[in-house]
Amino acid sequence: MTYIAKPKLHHPGLPTNALGFTRRDYEGRISTLCAGCGHDSISAALIQACFELDIEPHRVAKLSGIGCSSKTPDYFLGQSHGFNSVHGRMPSVLTGANLANRELIYLGVSGDGDSASIGLGQFAHCMRRGVNMVYICENNGVYGLTKGQFSATADKGSKAKGGAVNTDSPIDLVSLALLMGASFVARSFSGDKKQLVPLIKAAIAHRGSAVLDVISPCVTFNNHAGSTKSFDFVRDHNEAVNKLDFVPAKKEITVDYEPGTSEVVRQHDGSFIKLAKLHPDYDPSNRVAALTYLQEREAAGEVVTGLLYIDPDTQDLHEHLGTVDAPLNRMTEDDLCPGVDMLETINAEYR
Amino acid sequence: MINWQSNVFPGVLGRTCDRPCEPACRRGRVEDEPVAICRLKRVAADSKDDISDRLPKPAAQKNGKRIALIGAGPASLTVARDLLPLGYTCVIYDADPFAGGMMRTQIPKFRLPERVLDEECGYILGLEPETRFGQKVESLKAILAENYDAVFVGCGAPRGRDLDIPGRKEAAEHIHIGIDWLASVSFGHTTKIGKRVVVLGGGNTAMDCCRTSRRLGGEKVDVVVRSGFAEMKASPWEKEDAMHEDIPIHNFLVPLEFVHEGGKLTGITFEKVKAEYDAKGRRKLVPAGEPPVHMACDDVLVAVGQENAFPWIERDSGVEFDEWNMPKVDPVTLQSTHPKVFFGGDAAFGPKNIIWAVAHGHEAALSIDLHCNGKDVTVRPSPLVNILSQKMGIHEWSYDNDVSLDLRFKVPHAPKELTLKDVNMEVELGFNRELAFKEAQRCLNCDIETVFEKNLCIECDACVDICPMDCITFTPNAAENDLRGMLIAPAKNLTQDLYVSPELKTGNIMVKDEDVCLHCGLCAERCPTGAWDMKKFYLETAKAHACSR
Amino acid sequence: MQPISATNDFVVKFANVNGSGSASANELFARSVLRMGVPVASRNIFPSNIQGLPTWYEVRISGDGWLGRRGGVDLMVAMNPQTWDKDVAEIEKGGYLLYDSTKPIPASKFRKDLTLLPVPLTEICNRAYSDPRQRQLFKNIIYVGALAFVLDMDLSAVKWLIAEQFENKKKLIAPNLQALDFGYDYAKEHLKGVCGLKIRHADKVGDRIFIGGNDAAGLGAVYGGATVCAWYPITPSTSLAESFTKHCERLRVDPVTKKNKFAVVQAEDEIAAIGMVLGANWNGARAFTATSGPGISLMQELFGFSYYAEIPAVVFDIQRGGPSTGMPTRTQQSDLMLAAYAGHGDTKHVLLFPEDPRESFEFAATAFDLAERLQTLVLVMMDLDIGMNDWLCKPLAWNKERKYDRGKVMTADELEAGKEFGRYLDVDGDAIPYRTLPGTHPSKGVYFTRGSSHDRYARYSEDGGVYVEVMQRLLQKFETAKSLVPKPVLHKAKEPAKFGALYFGSTSAAMDEALAALESHGLHIDALRVRAFPFSEEVVEFINAHEQVFVVEQNRDAQLQKMIVNECAIDPARFISILHYDGTPVTARFIINAISERMKLGKAREAAE
Repeated sequence: MTYIAKPKLHHPGLPTNALGFTRRDYEGRISTLCAGCGHDSISAALIQACFELDIEPHRVAKLSGIGCSSKTPDYFLGQSHGFNSVHGRMPSVLTGANLANRELIYLGVSGDGDSASIGLGQFAHCMRRGVNMVYICENNGVYGLTKGQFSATADKGSKAKGGAVNTDSPIDLVSLALLMGASFVARSFSGDKKQLVPLIKAAIAHRGSAVLDVISPCVTFNNHAGSTKSFDFVRDHNEAVNKLDFVPAKKEITVDYEPGTSEVVRQHDGSFIKLAKLHPDYDPSNRVAALTYLQEREAAGEVVTGLLYIDPDTQDLHEHLGTVDAPLNRMTEDDLCPGVDMLETINAEYR
Repeated sequence: MINWQSNVFPGVLGRTCDRPCEPACRRGRVEDEPVAICRLKRVAADSKDDISDRLPKPAAQKNGKRIALIGAGPASLTVARDLLPLGYTCVIYDADPFAGGMMRTQIPKFRLPERVLDEECGYILGLEPETRFGQKVESLKAILAENYDAVFVGCGAPRGRDLDIPGRKEAAEHIHIGIDWLASVSFGHTTKIGKRVVVLGGGNTAMDCCRTSRRLGGEKVDVVVRSGFAEMKASPWEKEDAMHEDIPIHNFLVPLEFVHEGGKLTGITFEKVKAEYDAKGRRKLVPAGEPPVHMACDDVLVAVGQENAFPWIERDSGVEFDEWNMPKVDPVTLQSTHPKVFFGGDAAFGPKNIIWAVAHGHEAALSIDLHCNGKDVTVRPSPLVNILSQKMGIHEWSYDNDVSLDLRFKVPHAPKELTLKDVNMEVELGFNRELAFKEAQRCLNCDIETVFEKNLCIECDACVDICPMDCITFTPNAAENDLRGMLIAPAKNLTQDLYVSPELKTGNIMVKDEDVCLHCGLCAERCPTGAWDMKKFYLETAKAHACSR
Repeated sequence: MQPISATNDFVVKFANVNGSGSASANELFARSVLRMGVPVASRNIFPSNIQGLPTWYEVRISGDGWLGRRGGVDLMVAMNPQTWDKDVAEIEKGGYLLYDSTKPIPASKFRKDLTLLPVPLTEICNRAYSDPRQRQLFKNIIYVGALAFVLDMDLSAVKWLIAEQFENKKKLIAPNLQALDFGYDYAKEHLKGVCGLKIRHADKVGDRIFIGGNDAAGLGAVYGGATVCAWYPITPSTSLAESFTKHCERLRVDPVTKKNKFAVVQAEDEIAAIGMVLGANWNGARAFTATSGPGISLMQELFGFSYYAEIPAVVFDIQRGGPSTGMPTRTQQSDLMLAAYAGHGDTKHVLLFPEDPRESFEFAATAFDLAERLQTLVLVMMDLDIGMNDWLCKPLAWNKERKYDRGKVMTADELEAGKEFGRYLDVDGDAIPYRTLPGTHPSKGVYFTRGSSHDRYARYSEDGGVYVEVMQRLLQKFETAKSLVPKPVLHKAKEPAKFGALYFGSTSAAMDEALAALESHGLHIDALRVRAFPFSEEVVEFINAHEQVFVVEQNRDAQLQKMIVNECAIDPARFISILHYDGTPVTARFIINAISERMKLGKAREAAE
């Protein structure tokens, strides 16, 4: 880590977005993670994605649990409210926040310890409910803050830095998310921003639970030979099923694509995702096929990345609940209190 | 001492330099203003303790070589400073009775107090040169005849350019040549000027003239310049200081005539001009077609430039002159066509400034030393270079890497009410130590290099993410022009080389555009494998003297 | 043995089998008594089971208006063979036993002192209905009809209620009325003049309503402006969330868009429920959850977060018998210490103690004001007795002028005007800082919420001094809370008293009766009903003004008393604990006995008997 603040000085040619912000305006405090941590790359990708989407930082709420990954919301979007909750409980806190104000963008940041162990239940249930959020799991297969124990996503047979071999079966968050009804499921790699940034942008534009499982090597405890979450291993075994190009809604451009080699998904907010098919048979609109494919490739020792599943027409929790369009947190006595006369009526009913 | 070794007159230059270093300062690439290098040199000079025991002593043993130095200005004094400790005998000639040359005669004392100049000249005079002050050199041949092993001409550009327009001769009593008038003020001969003064010219001399006028009774002082404000030769801060002293600057006015009543100057008329640019972008001043402007005044100071003048160098002395009547001088060795005669300062290539004179002095001294030892003056010794890692701890460096975000600090001035009353009272108070420290912290540590070791890199992107200036890119390799466009922040400054690594494991290369690097070291702090290191680069140009070795 | 003779002052208890449909019939009986202007206090005593286990319903008819359990049974409606022996044994000497006489019961199963009220219920049913399910349901209505006759009730009152009850299912009215008549007519023919218990029309009910605490609290949350309810089912709190939902569906649906101005989420567990409550409150919506002891145990980590990060939250704890799973369907006041100090590290929470459904309604709304004003967790400490039983209480009240106190929330305009914002900065001297809601202002007022140690500006800090400063301010904020929470209520004895009594919550009904009884026998006790934690100055002053203070609680460990000893630094020797914790609501008899025994004055005991 480093302790001096990243200087505010920036490249004189740094571009600005539609709001007049530079990418630097989306940064947060200086990271306190280890030097080279994959999580910092994910933060950088988030910064880039929010910048490119012209998001007003204060319209984002970023929530997390406990762990290395969950520290990161402090390190991006310094003008967004952040909530570093308790271990494994980010999904519920985020669900509540989302219920209170459906207009903000909700970024949930978690890790494999936070999501796949203590928080597995909440991970599953927020998918089931279709909470409109981006759920990023910064997945390094290891407990960093407690110094290198295996996490529940560590592959069977993978070796710890000290030589111990993991004998437990891994939890695949991507498969679980698919089973639990998440409507946007993707996997990426912290070392591949070209893939990660468009995925984050598409996930933010997606209405519903968007899950991004991002393999993020722990340079301190899990980047050695024998680890299956190391830079080298992931680079050697990465099988991207598609290549993403995200086109925001406000850009009025015609998307041309060649059927068969690429396809276009139109999202609820009018944005497009243009997918170049790297595996011609892969169909990201088929949940069952996606699960099957994931299992097959996993058995073959590959790490499948890309946009694995998307249902652009899904409904989110607010639609399930039929809540009003205006945020609940803006309601006043006039909206909420039935008044004295009604109470008289009610009293009479209890006599 | 570092300050003194290379620039010889830190106290003087720290007040008067026109700062060619500051435009080069890389701070100016990331925000509007560079580090106040000049004024920091002044603080260093002003704040030092007694340094006499660190100074070179007069040579214990003379080497028998004798060098004549014509003029006691900064160039000659530098040659003396470099050569005296080596045992040379230096004989300094000057028409004035003191050392310092134009530093003494042309720079007003409210900018450069006499004690500072005396002190710094004194360090050189303390090395015991022979001085022939008050003795005007009339003939180079005569000097050469004295059998010197070498002659260094550092006599400056002593002639102020005149303005030959109607009325010049008639009204001559109240029309003064700027540099002569300044010298006269400096030596106390002139102590007064009329209430209404017009200064003609847009250079630093004009600024000194107008400000001096304000102190000698000039109540309404105007500066009139042919060109536009931006193109004026005067340093921006000199213009600012003049305007601060309630001196208006009038631009695009070409003097037509000195108006007088029977030889008594009453004013000047000017023609209004405007700038036009031809297809090649060259500027031309053309009449604006408006009626002439008249300015009433009591005195005029003409500061429209200076010229070299070598009436004392016989054209058959062996020193050849070019078509502009300037001596032919090798720009590197400073040797003239006469192997024993070297030039430096304004005398070599026309009016420049003190720091160039010093630089010439160093190079000329080196040439003279080579020449006297029978060596080829064109074979210049290499500079001393050194590069050393600065890493101390996990995020600790042996240099200050925490980049200050402060904007350039202003140098405090003495109150105008006081300074305008006293021509000898220094206007600038200088930074105090606290301010100076803060200003110095704005330095972006150009001496620190980011050094990349490709074998250690795991391509984790940590350096890319942390770099505040987007200097670093990992990309497939390409030809330089294409590569420049492929960077995260495309490189605009084409004079800045790209730092490129060999191919890495993934086939990408690391490219660093050094242009706006802050040397904050965050890339190296963030690097998990130590592929980046911050190394300090030290360069010392070769000099004749050996006082620091 | 003389059969008991009483008018408008006796206890009827129904012994039933869970899931047999008896509950609505029994409630019909209780409400019918109310319709005659006679106060009742009814209590469900039920198992943690859906079908087949014993359940009881106890109705105290009290012309004097005592609403606590009295203790003892004057008339047992014994419908459960499984508990027959125990039920018969429980009847007061000279009491009555109404039972299904279809099957012959050996004489040994009866008591000689009892007056029997046999009704061949099964036989009547079998004769009238062919569907077994109908037989079982109407059997309950038939015994209500029989009771109406033997107790000399106004049959028309019962019939009116049936008509009201089935207003929306009109075709059920006639069969129910018919069943009622079966019972009434049978009793009229066979049981004339055998029962000395009578119900006479009175005018003692007034405008009071008959409502359950969970129902009232759910409605209170609606009135109090709650928009988010996240909950996980647990007895005895479930009906609170259901009540909120029910009332919202009626009162909070936009008439035009038909969209909901509320959100109810059934969470995956109590931890998720409180997580959602914190998230919603952090984001500016009034949100709550309802739970019971085990849920409180699970929520502790996030309770601590609420306290330390200063996020408002409202939790209803409908207390049941602990420890562990304990007695899920029995009442207790045994979560006090748990709730007050829930969470690791130095943590305290604001507790409110409503005495009945009416106060549950009021405190529900107040809790949201307090939570937002104090930016902390507020627990409304109800119990099963209040929550799941219908209570006769004063009508629910709401002040037309009442505005929600949304606490210190800095607005975009204030930020824009340059008002200094520090999330944990005490600018007003009351130790309550300002907060901002996410999305308020583009460049000002942003902060990072965390459960780790932080400074005044919400920045992470491990500096001991910084940490202590925040912890001290939280203590000071608790002092501020003392002046904001509901004040205790004083019942002054008619004569100066050396003895005092402290009590709280559902003990109130039995306590009122006990104090009146003791007073009528010359035992003067001042009493103070504590309504909130932290304890206000009045509590300390009250204790200091009495030589000995009884503390009446429905738990084993004298939790309120211990908290007072700790928080107010009072000598424990001043207190005498009166503790009732068998899972049934405390009775006036129990309190009278315990106090009079302690006061060594036998007269009081006589009074009770």
